[in-house]
Amino acid sequence: MNDRPENRVEKIVADLLHGRRLRLRGGDAEEKEAITAAARLAGMRHGPQRMNPAFRKSLERTLEETQTEGWITRRAALVAGLGLAAGAAGGAILGRDLSPRPVQAAAQPIEPQNGRWIDVAALNDLVEGQGKRVTAGGVGAFVFRHGDTVTAVSSVCSHLPCELWFDRHDSNLACPCHPARFTPAGRPIDSYTLPALNPVHARVTAAGRVEVLGTE
Amino acid sequence: MTAEENAGEEGRVVELPAASRATDIALDELELVYAFIYARVGNRADAEDLTQQVALKAIPRLRQGAPASAIRGYLFATARSVLGAFWSTRLGLSEAELHEDLALAVPTSPPSEEGVEIVQSILAQLSDNYRRVLELRFLHGYSLKEVAAEMKSTVGAIKVMQLRALRAAAKVRLPE
Repeated sequence: MNDRPENRVEKIVADLLHGRRLRLRGGDAEEKEAITAAARLAGMRHGPQRMNPAFRKSLERTLEETQTEGWITRRAALVAGLGLAAGAAGGAILGRDLSPRPVQAAAQPIEPQNGRWIDVAALNDLVEGQGKRVTAGGVGAFVFRHGDTVTAVSSVCSHLPCELWFDRHDSNLACPCHPARFTPAGRPIDSYTLPALNPVHARVTAAGRVEVLGTE
Repeated sequence: MTAEENAGEEGRVVELPAASRATDIALDELELVYAFIYARVGNRADAEDLTQQVALKAIPRLRQGAPASAIRGYLFATARSVLGAFWSTRLGLSEAELHEDLALAVPTSPPSEEGVEIVQSILAQLSDNYRRVLELRFLHGYSLKEVAAEMKSTVGAIKVMQLRALRAAAKVRLPE
């Protein structure tokens, strides 16, 4: 029912009319004309918009700080609430051969204190190439099957603490909060210099069960 | 006159006012960029994210003390590229696929004015039913149910009509 184009587009229209962010799913590309037209109508219905004063102020701070510093660290940008944009800016600045390079945290595996292996699925339940969202106590992860083995990455975006979703359209993990995407291995794609997703320990037992190292 | 020249005329070098003036120019230009982006993504959160991206990408250029007119051209070129990346990522399309027939997402120049008048011009080119359904939803804020009641139809039929009306609206080309 919800896969019908009129339903998908209506959901997007309703989001726009309620001032919500555009949340698109795999398959929405078929209606790209209708979706961009809806965004345009929603964007122009109240006339030209001005920045919210708080946003303008944060932008002003960022511009002044970076003019003084000359370059942006990921941390500075995150403090200013600009995480993803900092990634993009980092790329732009690097493209101009300015240094030093923006800091990019290495993705460390999640090692829960007093961690324990949690049964999350049967190996046979996993479909090759398709991520399965699982919860192991306090650890959320996407598990991927590779033949008789599995790998897992954190289900939380490395930029903002938003839950990723698995996009069947291109078999990648997508962030609903920003245009950020990650491969099943957790590597960021697109032009943003985001850190990789944290790997999560996962294993297959002799009984063919998939376990993830999580918490009580 | 650049900020540095101005500071020199006054016989003292004051970095902060120079930086502030450059920031003020940039912020005024970024207001236009924000309006431009908002008019294409239709929501504040995405418009703010994209404006930030434009600002940060433009910082090296802003630091060169370029005049406002040059900054504007650069900011809008950056805004177009950021919008293109936004739609292609959100829709899962390559930018080449996106650009094939999506002039709405990648306008060629900054608009002088955007608002209800443009919405009206787009709607004016649609058939009566299509125009009515989009007017009620986008300009009057009606829910689907209210539109269905107003147009003496069903919610299901209005949903389909809305989709077709939006497809038709996407084909309307207005001078940029």
